Amino acid sequence: MDGLFQEQIDHLAERHFLVLYWVAHAEDRRIRYNLTNCFDDLKLAGITRTKQTALATVEALTALRFIEIREQGNRKNLYITQHGAEALKLLVLRGAFSPRKSAFLEAQL
Amino acid sequence: MTLGIGGAGSRLAVKLDPGATIVNVSQIELEKTPAEHRILAMVHAARGQLQGSRKDPAIGRAAFASVKDELLALCRNSLLFASTGGGTGSGMTAALLEELATRDDIPPTEKAVFALLLPHAERESAEYVNNTLDFLRGPLSLAIDTGNTGNIFLFSNRLKFESRLPEDEYNTMLVDSLQVFLAIPEKCAQLDLLDGHIDPEDFSLFMSRPYFNHFTYFEFDPAKPFGEQLRSNLNPLLLLPDNPIEALFLLEVPADADPAPFYDLIDFFVDQEVTPSYTVVRNSQRGKYFVTVSLLYSRKPAELVEDFSRISEKRARAKVRKSLEQHVTLPRLEVNLERETKRVGKEKGATEEDVLAVLQRIGKL
Repeated sequence: MDGLFQEQIDHLAERHFLVLYWVAHAEDRRIRYNLTNCFDDLKLAGITRTKQTALATVEALTALRFIEIREQGNRKNLYITQHGAEALKLLVLRGAFSPRKSAFLEAQL
Repeated sequence: MTLGIGGAGSRLAVKLDPGATIVNVSQIELEKTPAEHRILAMVHAARGQLQGSRKDPAIGRAAFASVKDELLALCRNSLLFASTGGGTGSGMTAALLEELATRDDIPPTEKAVFALLLPHAERESAEYVNNTLDFLRGPLSLAIDTGNTGNIFLFSNRLKFESRLPEDEYNTMLVDSLQVFLAIPEKCAQLDLLDGHIDPEDFSLFMSRPYFNHFTYFEFDPAKPFGEQLRSNLNPLLLLPDNPIEALFLLEVPADADPAPFYDLIDFFVDQEVTPSYTVVRNSQRGKYFVTVSLLYSRKPAELVEDFSRISEKRARAKVRKSLEQHVTLPRLEVNLERETKRVGKEKGATEEDVLAVLQRIGKL
């Protein structure tokens, strides 16, 4: 299984890394981070201009069980899983991508 | 009729002829030059009438439309001064030359003679040099091809910069020099004629030829070959001439001196396959022979452009090298990508330790 996990991580792109990173930070600060926030941040980071790509990124991470979506009220909020935390840790240790600030989280300061 | 276009052209025109008409896009510039007739060329600019053309010939070209008919009428049989480096002189004269090029068969009596002042490429700004290059490549080339202009004098600012002369002093020198040449028919009329004859009509016909005119004058020593003396006395105010196509000279012979040396001059030109127009006069005011000579040549604009381009490119290269030497030091950089990624991450407030700490705090690790 370790081999599969490594391979899954190898195929993650910057947008997956950023979503994991922002989701973890949101949870750390007890802020609810939903799909719309994720789309806005990816757009501001210049990663994508379409909501479909943001949705596809979130769906991929969900399918890999790196994040989970919880329907809270009429919002779909995102939370990192333990597998997602391991994945993020590996990506950080590899220095594969540089973190970028989430405009949504910055605005909550 | 004398016309001056733009600042530099106007100052020269007025110096030669106080009754000159001057044209400019700037009211302030116009008022600074004490001319008898002033024409303000209008440019439609958002901020109102411009106070100059900012070395941009496009502004001069745009302004030409407002004075086109007036200028075309005025330039008939006139001497027109302009500089090729600035905005107004270069742009308006370019537009005028292009307009003249479209005309059919301008009669010799109506052709305009152009006295153009070229920048000294080694000392003057790159804009002046580039504007001149465009001028030589385009409108001047066209004008020569169509033959719709009279003589073109190519004055250069080289001597001004090399001798460190103020502009007014240099302009006086230039105009004085031109007056020596322009005085030929008058001298022919006033002094005792010894041989040949150039009347005002002959002179006017010579001036209507569509070639570059290099004129010069010097004390002539009949004991030495004329060619050598001519080569060492070329006019330093003008660009160097090419082989002449036509020539004209006035030889002033001192009192009691033999006029026969003028045959040396004729022989010199005949050797170059040119039959000159000439006049030999007795001038008792002269202690030595004095010759005023004009060579009409057709140095192709392409060759002039080549000269200018060479200097211009040399200048550009020197400029780049200089700015590199002055402002850029290139230290050896050894970049470790891993370290650099961490440094960038740290700058953004998120080191790997920070991220791991977050994951531990939320209990996912």
